[in-house]
Amino acid sequence: MSDDLSYVGKRLIKPDIAAKVTGQARYTEDMVVPGMLEGRILSSPHAHARIVSIDTAEAAALDGVIAVVTHDDVPPNKFTRSTMAEALPDFAYEGERQDQYVLTDKARYVGDWIAAVAAEDIYTAENALDLIKVEYEELPAVFDPFDAMEKGAPGVHEDAPGNLAFEMDHPFNCGDVEKAFSEADEVVEFSGVNSRQKHLHLETDAAIAWWDENDRLNIISPSQGPHLAQKHLSKRIFTDIKDGDIRWISPAIGGGFGARLALGVEPIAVVLARRAKRPVRVTTTREEDFFGYSSRTDQHQTIRMGAMKDGTIVGIEQQIVSDAGAYLSHSATTSIVNMQKTLGLFRCDNVHGHIKVAYTNTPVTAGFRGYGNAEGAFVVQQTVDKLAEKLGIDPVEFRLRNIRKEGEQSFFIPCELEHTRLKECIEIASERFDWKTKWCGWGAAKTGRHRRGVGMSILNHASGAGGFLLEHSSAAMKVMPDGSANLIVSPCEMGQGILGALAQIAAEASGLRYEQMRVFTGDTDVTMFDIGSHASRSTLVIGNAVVAAAQKIKAQIQELSVPHFEERQVRAKPEDIEVQAGEVFLTSNPDMRFDVEEVAHAAVYNFGADGAQINATGSYLSTSHHPNHQAAFAEVEVDTETGAVSVVKYVVAHDIGRAINPQLVEGQMEGGAIQGLGFALTEDFVIDPDTGRVLSDSLLTYRLPTVMDVPEMENILVEDPSPAGPYGAKGVGEAGVVNPAAAIANAVYDAIGVRIASLPITPEKVLHALSSGGRHMPEGSSRVSGQYL
Amino acid sequence: MTKQIATFKVNGRTREAIVEPHMLLVDVLRDHLGLTGTKRACASGNCGACTVLADGIPICSCLTLAVRAQDRELTTVEGLVDSQGNLHPLQKAFITHCASQCGYCTAGMLMSASALLNADPRPTEEDVKRSISGNLCRCTGYVKIVEAILDAANEMTDAKEIPA
Repeated sequence: MSDDLSYVGKRLIKPDIAAKVTGQARYTEDMVVPGMLEGRILSSPHAHARIVSIDTAEAAALDGVIAVVTHDDVPPNKFTRSTMAEALPDFAYEGERQDQYVLTDKARYVGDWIAAVAAEDIYTAENALDLIKVEYEELPAVFDPFDAMEKGAPGVHEDAPGNLAFEMDHPFNCGDVEKAFSEADEVVEFSGVNSRQKHLHLETDAAIAWWDENDRLNIISPSQGPHLAQKHLSKRIFTDIKDGDIRWISPAIGGGFGARLALGVEPIAVVLARRAKRPVRVTTTREEDFFGYSSRTDQHQTIRMGAMKDGTIVGIEQQIVSDAGAYLSHSATTSIVNMQKTLGLFRCDNVHGHIKVAYTNTPVTAGFRGYGNAEGAFVVQQTVDKLAEKLGIDPVEFRLRNIRKEGEQSFFIPCELEHTRLKECIEIASERFDWKTKWCGWGAAKTGRHRRGVGMSILNHASGAGGFLLEHSSAAMKVMPDGSANLIVSPCEMGQGILGALAQIAAEASGLRYEQMRVFTGDTDVTMFDIGSHASRSTLVIGNAVVAAAQKIKAQIQELSVPHFEERQVRAKPEDIEVQAGEVFLTSNPDMRFDVEEVAHAAVYNFGADGAQINATGSYLSTSHHPNHQAAFAEVEVDTETGAVSVVKYVVAHDIGRAINPQLVEGQMEGGAIQGLGFALTEDFVIDPDTGRVLSDSLLTYRLPTVMDVPEMENILVEDPSPAGPYGAKGVGEAGVVNPAAAIANAVYDAIGVRIASLPITPEKVLHALSSGGRHMPEGSSRVSGQYL
Repeated sequence: MTKQIATFKVNGRTREAIVEPHMLLVDVLRDHLGLTGTKRACASGNCGACTVLADGIPICSCLTLAVRAQDRELTTVEGLVDSQGNLHPLQKAFITHCASQCGYCTAGMLMSASALLNADPRPTEEDVKRSISGNLCRCTGYVKIVEAILDAANEMTDAKEIPA
């Protein structure tokens, strides 16, 4: 975008990257605290079992073992791994159950945490785990959410009859869908389920905990929201500790994608550190990560949609049955957000949604980048295409007719949609993709072994959940005597480049230099309360707080510059003075300028009564979701002999408002697209339906996309500043992962004429679909997560 | 298990550590020699984050017993900078292309790519992709990594061909 901005909109180097390419960046597992012990966790080999007895004597007697803890040694307080509790008002949170202990009283999935050890070194800790003798009494187990809700199913939790963990109607239900469907010209139904995509942050979970010389609890862990984690830990688990008694440090994070919004091994590190009276670092392995507690929630959905002949959607209904696994964590809230985005994408007066979340004896599911949106898109975007086909309307045209316009109600009711460029995204991306040439119309017959097909998908997503979550952020800035500055904020830098984006905003709004902006984050003792980085919120919400602080800094510089102009025999009022890129000058005479260092230095080295460092804080409260949008087009080639689907081309346009740094935005889109490609085609989380054991327990059996899988891609930024964002920016962190599976599924249908109803779209499913012509698909039901054909 | 003093040649220096026969190279590099730039992300040779060079050849340090690495010239990410502390052209290109997001795969990517460029100063895009096909990245979508490596290759050949 062309304008007179110094830093915003430019491809500047993010501040944390140099340390990452030299190996100097410090992640949790790189940290060593003097006297630190190594902690390891013993997990259950059974999916459902009563713990008859645990004998830790032999483990405790092993040379070098300092502490062994079991359920009896942990606080008697139940909590949930999701820290979202502390960002929601009580009335909204009462549905989320506090349903687990730090170490469990009963094994509820293969991998459930039974005991933990702290020892002088990792090898001793490992050996000690082998010496803990647990006697289990195996119990009947249930691995499927539909089975779990049947009468007589084994109960995962004693206090959850029917294994029902959560149930609610969509809060924004409106109109009468049954009446709408009866009056509609066409009504279609489509059922599908997403897989339990693993976050697969390369840094496995770890935490260090210790009490320091001031008797304060210090925690180092890769948390995406240390302030929330601090509150959650003290309010729900360690109720004898106040949140202020905890100093939570969140260093460089080796990937988050939503996983670090839930507590990981931190509570165990705290229990061990307390028992051992020494610092303890608890680490986990990749295999334990697969067995463990975090993946996308598999949401089994049935969507009905009705429209009139002219293509106007008149009714949408979504039924979701989600599988929480053994404990609730984010599975309920992520299902709610699915409904909000899925049912809110199109203008429609008759909307109905309903969720049930069931407990099963499987690993815990949670929130993953997109937080329900990718799960919903896979099903709703296929439903939309099915309806467009029945009506004989081009899918691009059908979507254009039904998307929400500015001034209409937003998907986040009761707010008005204040800004959208989804229409432009669809139009620009379809043109670049050459949709008009590539799409041959509904029912176009494709023949031969290799069949090509095209498909599309659109989305709306939040830029922070204002009005729903505790969406306020604060920033502090101080200017050093050399004209450089500290920006103190609390996003979490997990790779997305938010430190760079915020530094660019701070430099732009304050008039200081980007190169001299030092961003400090990840220490709850220093940063102010903030709910952290998730919900694509940081650029908009924290960015606006940074603008608020930076503008005050600029005003102080303008004020303090007056005498410096006087020294140069120029009379100037503050409003005549501009500060830009580290220089102070007169708006009327830009040649009259000096370095901001002069003012910054004089402010500190002032022995008079008005001496004070230039400093300011700023806060921002977001009251709406400020939706960002995306349209994506995929071309696939299906090998009808092997069933393999390859993506030939992927074009996506994102409604960013304004890109603070286009390179960082592209990075989010490219990374999201490839994560979405894995979600679509290869990432298959497989649970043994007989034992409940995770079978895809390594990167050999759970396939991430490699560089060889990257298709020809085009990422287009549709820039038009939004009134709400800092310099007009909206969020982009999550959107990229939402569309790929949906667009690819629609393209597969275009190629072979059969819809695939579960993710990932594996060769087996495609071959099966080809041989049966799609008649085998059981609508709205499935067996264990994502495995049914 | 017998402890022994092992000698390693790492990044041009000789280092000693007390190791046991079962210890993996990645753990000795990180926990004994303080070279934490090398990451342990899967510990089963599937992700490439632990890649280091042994006599110029990329290996998974998580699949290598430390004692067996004693007679080899090891290079880790910390050894990519030259003796004056200047960044390797690959490191510079990763910075300008923003080819590192969370950074956990970055050391492994750089080591695989540096082995390629040492062996083949003029790689094609396909060569570059193959050279890092054993290195998983969960953040970037690989696009900027491939661009950065190609850019560094050009930079290095240009530097050789145009005399100062």
